Amino acid sequence: MSKRNDITTPEGYFENLQQRLSEIPARPVRVSPVHRLAPYAAIAASFLVAVLLGNSILRHTAPAPAEDDTWTYVSYLADALDPDGAAMMDIYGYEEEEEPQGLSADDIVNYLLADGITVEHLNYLSYEEGY
Amino acid sequence: MDNAERLFNEIVKEYSERVYWHVRRFVNNHEDADDLVQEIFLKIWTALPSFRGEAQLFTWVYRIATNETLNWLRREKVRSALRFTSIDAEMERRIDSDPFFDGDAADRALSKAVAKLPEKQRQVFILRYYDEMPYEQMSEVLDTSVGALKASYHIAQEKVRSALGKDIFVGTD
Repeated sequence: MSKRNDITTPEGYFENLQQRLSEIPARPVRVSPVHRLAPYAAIAASFLVAVLLGNSILRHTAPAPAEDDTWTYVSYLADALDPDGAAMMDIYGYEEEEEPQGLSADDIVNYLLADGITVEHLNYLSYEEGY
Repeated sequence: MDNAERLFNEIVKEYSERVYWHVRRFVNNHEDADDLVQEIFLKIWTALPSFRGEAQLFTWVYRIATNETLNWLRREKVRSALRFTSIDAEMERRIDSDPFFDGDAADRALSKAVAKLPEKQRQVFILRYYDEMPYEQMSEVLDTSVGALKASYHIAQEKVRSALGKDIFVGTD
């Protein structure tokens, strides 16, 4: 049993092969789309890893809110992310009513009652002023 | 012609035939060996600027050839799986249908037995038996100790002998 003579090549193959191989340096270098996109894919993957790692670190280091204090935690997050409160309407489902500026009639009545003015006296004053 | 091109042409002149025979033993088909040799030399050309001369040129070329051949074999394994056939069956088919196979039945049986060896043992067997490479050089090419290579070759020989029948000579060592 011979070691090499059991397989052969076409006639004149090696001369032809050497000729073809020696033309390789003159060939334009072709870069496949996969190789062209590889650096960008690597950058995207690194960014994703950094985000996941950062998120994981924050989860383990930041103090966790109490289990039954979810709304406090949501408010804390909302304040941190949106100090102006623009997103609060979306979180709570309603928009907070603005506090009225100045004093209302009820405020004045309550103040006078607390100051010792009787209801009869108030009714009398209302009658006198045509309320 | 610059220095890199001159060195590349020397490599082609010196090693193209040896690399072809080495690759052919793995792929068992002339056309695929031809394609793979071109890929290997393209790789050699693109890697030439990184060749620092720390390794011998021969070792460096053989290392690239072996790595590229193994990558090809792994791809072929996947291709075979996609065709619902095994790589062993595919290699047998190649040996049987190769128009440039000129050996007798025993040669054919030997090629089939070698094709069925595990990857590392096949590498060692082809380098030692067919390429007649000394263990010290094989050690540099495969980055494995001489002792481990001798052990691998011994196991490969035993497997081939057992596949062929004990009366068939497949070398010593």
